Amino acid sequence: MSTAIIVTDVIPHTLDSRKPETHISNPIIQIKRLTRIIATPTHRVDILRGIDLEIPRGQFVAIMGPSGSGKSTLLGLLAGLDNATDGQILLDDVDITRLSEDAMAEVRGRKIGFVFQSFQLIPTLTAEENVLLPAELAGAGPEVTGRARELLTRVGLADRLDHYPVQLSGGEQQRVALARAFITRPPILFADEPTGNLDGKTGQQVLELLLELNRLEGATLVLVTHDPALAAHADRVITLRDGLVVTDQMNTDQMNGPR
Amino acid sequence: MTQPNPWRTAAKIAWRETRASSGRFLFVILAVAAGVGALTGVRGFSRAFHTMLQRDARGFMAADLTIRTFQLPTTEQTAVMDRLATRGIRRTQITETLTMASPGEGSTPLLISVKAVDPDAYPFYGTVQLRPPLAFRSALQPDAVVVSDGVLLRLNAKVGDSIRIGGQPFRIAAEVTNEPDRMTGSLNVGPRVMMSRAGLERTGLIVPGSRAAERFLFKLPVAVPIAGVRQELKNAFREGLIADYTEAHPLIEQGLRQSTTFLSLVSLVALVIAALGVATAIQAHLQQKMDSIAVMKCLGAKSSQVLRIYVIQTVGLGLAGSAIGIAVGSLVQMVFPLFLERYFHISSMPRFDAVSALQGLMVGVLTVLLFTVPPLLGVRHIRPALIFRREMAAPEQTFRQWWSRAAGSLVSSVVILAFVGALAAWLSDNATTGRYFALAIAGAMLTLAAVAWLLLRGLRIFSRHLPRSAGPVVRQGIANLYRPGNHAGAAVMALGVGVMFTVTIWIVQRGLLQDIIRTAPPGMPNVYLLDVTASNRQAVFDLVSGQAGVEGKPEMLGAVSATMQSIDGVTLNREKLLGFARRYARTVSVATAPEKPPFTEVLSGQWWAAGEAPKVPQLSVAESVAKLLKIKVGTEIVWTTPQRSFTSVVVAIHKSESVRLTARIEFFFTPGALDGLPAIYYGGVRAKPADVPALQKILYEKFPTVTVVNMAEVLDTIQSIVDQISLVVRFISFFSILAGVVILASSVAGTRFRRIREVVILKTLGATRQRIARIFSIEFLVIGAVAGLMGGLLAGGFAWLVLNRLLRANAPPDVMPMLVAVAGTAALAVVTGWAASYRTLGQKPLEILRDE
Repeated sequence: MSTAIIVTDVIPHTLDSRKPETHISNPIIQIKRLTRIIATPTHRVDILRGIDLEIPRGQFVAIMGPSGSGKSTLLGLLAGLDNATDGQILLDDVDITRLSEDAMAEVRGRKIGFVFQSFQLIPTLTAEENVLLPAELAGAGPEVTGRARELLTRVGLADRLDHYPVQLSGGEQQRVALARAFITRPPILFADEPTGNLDGKTGQQVLELLLELNRLEGATLVLVTHDPALAAHADRVITLRDGLVVTDQMNTDQMNGPR
Repeated sequence: MTQPNPWRTAAKIAWRETRASSGRFLFVILAVAAGVGALTGVRGFSRAFHTMLQRDARGFMAADLTIRTFQLPTTEQTAVMDRLATRGIRRTQITETLTMASPGEGSTPLLISVKAVDPDAYPFYGTVQLRPPLAFRSALQPDAVVVSDGVLLRLNAKVGDSIRIGGQPFRIAAEVTNEPDRMTGSLNVGPRVMMSRAGLERTGLIVPGSRAAERFLFKLPVAVPIAGVRQELKNAFREGLIADYTEAHPLIEQGLRQSTTFLSLVSLVALVIAALGVATAIQAHLQQKMDSIAVMKCLGAKSSQVLRIYVIQTVGLGLAGSAIGIAVGSLVQMVFPLFLERYFHISSMPRFDAVSALQGLMVGVLTVLLFTVPPLLGVRHIRPALIFRREMAAPEQTFRQWWSRAAGSLVSSVVILAFVGALAAWLSDNATTGRYFALAIAGAMLTLAAVAWLLLRGLRIFSRHLPRSAGPVVRQGIANLYRPGNHAGAAVMALGVGVMFTVTIWIVQRGLLQDIIRTAPPGMPNVYLLDVTASNRQAVFDLVSGQAGVEGKPEMLGAVSATMQSIDGVTLNREKLLGFARRYARTVSVATAPEKPPFTEVLSGQWWAAGEAPKVPQLSVAESVAKLLKIKVGTEIVWTTPQRSFTSVVVAIHKSESVRLTARIEFFFTPGALDGLPAIYYGGVRAKPADVPALQKILYEKFPTVTVVNMAEVLDTIQSIVDQISLVVRFISFFSILAGVVILASSVAGTRFRRIREVVILKTLGATRQRIARIFSIEFLVIGAVAGLMGGLLAGGFAWLVLNRLLRANAPPDVMPMLVAVAGTAALAVVTGWAASYRTLGQKPLEILRDE
């Protein structure tokens, strides 16, 4: 298996000072005046304070920002895991802020793939069963097993199909999670610090796999990270601070790069 | 893509889940198995027994039809039976009575129950089996008897020896190993001696008024319908108890039904405890699965899909538990005949009953499913955002959300309770029982939960104020009880219910026996004399009075058999009387009393003056009978006896001290009222226990037909019967303790990962294995002791209620069983706890810490 993107050292990247186009024709993700406020009788925390964004089909977007800037909340809201206080999120022209929990689950099953920082494999299922799970939940038949094996082969775990998560190393677990994220061919992939729990070298390998799979599958990738080196691979880098977008820039190196 | 059945997909995922954590569910399955096992065992046995009764009904009665009466038949009655004989209906007579037997001069006589039969006819069905295997007819010569092993044992005799009955010698021809109609007989107090009717004649035991039961056995030709014959006999024998083989034996059937109901309900308690355990286990399981469920929801699973997975898993556990339970049940079914073989010759009984197995399976699965509804419904509230919780606060709960959850739990509690009630109603075939059962279960559970909560909370406060000197081991052991997910409260409750049940039965059993012994007032007769004839009366009185060790004068009471014909002009109709009142439509014992007997209290009216003998006889009636038959002072009662009829007027209602001889007579007449009627005398006397055998011997030598009853022997008999019953009940209630133990084990096993972590951290910090073992032991010990204390205390309360309120025995609180309950449960909990967690001790720290 060849890796299309080889990132062995951190290349100092230049950011395009141009703002991305404000009106993209047929964007896959549209965010309008998105706010999220947590109010208790004594406290009020404004986590997101009116965010507007549009992400075109196939783009790789990195969301950066310090702890507490609201980046994970944004990702959670995009995936319909939490309710927005105000504003709209349109995934493929469907306003997900209006959906019931079950309808949202269906949208997730059809349109979204996930990669988590702490892998989130089901401990009682084998590697292969973990990969199969989203497809089975979406109603796939036995024919999907072939694709699961193919994906696991692609991430280098062909000989670990029957292993349980505890029998796998952290890097291997995240590779299973990658295969799982792509099994339903989702148009959108959300990754929340996918290398955050891995050592440098393993993290690097996982990132390469993620990018390669994403290139092959052609999904829109939204990745939350602290790591500028990781963000350097993105087409576009959005930086949040105190619940607001402070920078939103195209990455010219990547624009001209292998993508 | 073909859309597979969503249940199939859910089943696939559920199976993968269960397979990987099968060990955790082992205990849950076992708890269900205990409950279902007890239930199917009891019901399976009951059904099998019923089938056997039906199949072998003729054998159990030794006839097609029987009449039992306590009087010899009148000439009219004999004529009716003779007419039946002309239609080819065969009959044979059996006489049963109590008397004394002695192996020879100078030895202590034994109270025996005699059964005199005609060996040429008896039994019509079934066989009397003898050891050595002789033919019954040839064995039962007029000078011979066949006896049960009890007679041989108690008289230290063997086959071939001679024993004296009614003063006459009889040769023991054989030992009886099976008497077909043993259970349908009467007067089965003492060990059995069977003799021929000619033999009974020789003894001279039967005189008019003797305490004997007569039974007539009939065998009908195939063509004669039983109902018609039954009706003819019923018309002739107004007082007789008639039974035919189609109802096997009403008393046995009724007893079987009642004990099946009772034992089914006891089993249901075990099942409810098991179901609670399953609910606790499923809740713990789902708590551990919260992340996985959140992940599944992230991956597109709907709540209904997740719910489906866990419902299938729960049903699977219920099915597995119930299936093992059915296997356990068939073992239980095999154990039951052991309890009964003293009374029954249990012939080939079906070992497996498909209907009760199916019932057990359904009840098991449904109970498990219903009890797990509340934790299962909680699945809906697990939000996928859970895995993002690092930065995402939980959404605030609105009042509406809170209320919808609270109302949900309330509704499911009510549904569960209604289901348990319906189940109890079905098992007992009685809606009221079902209602009471559901309320009792709810009450007991709430009380136990409250007490468990209070005790555990109190202990926590106590442990915080423990002095430093108490040491970290005790402190940490107690602190472990409050470990998240430990379910100490649930384990305490489950174990407590089991203990409560078993100990209640134990205390009631002890209390009853002690009450019988203790409430005997000083001077109460401990030797009773039965069947003293009028001619012997004075001689017996003189003989007993002069005996060594006899305290005070013997009480002697002459009783006449008479029947009430009408009360205030209304004829007594057996069919119209309800329940207990019916027995007063038969012959009763009445007596004369020149003055008010001692230990008797007049409740209304006035007792006649000494020496008064009015023309129209007057009488005093015992309060209990007066209530049943609505008799008041001034009521007119007409009596009949075989000799004459007479009218009497009630002048008093009285109450006698229940242990006195006079309490056996419920109707006392003015002197002269019973003149000319044959009387049989009863006597009672207090003798020093050591002198009782000598008294029995001398009485037997001089008056061989007088039956001497030693109360100590009667108490032994009562004790053995009570023991037998409570053994069965304890055997079944043991299953509820078993379910409690299993739940404790499951709760301990459920916290295994936390325990391993603790062990590892403690080891890393320098704790030895022994020290960790002590910490855990204290935790288990406290759970067991609290459960034992709670179960014991509640059992004490319940037993007190049952004994003093329900059974009206006067039993003081019994502390011993409670102490045993505390110590026993504590020990049991330590053993169980260690059995479920000993492996954690051996864990090497590095393997665990590296995984962190």
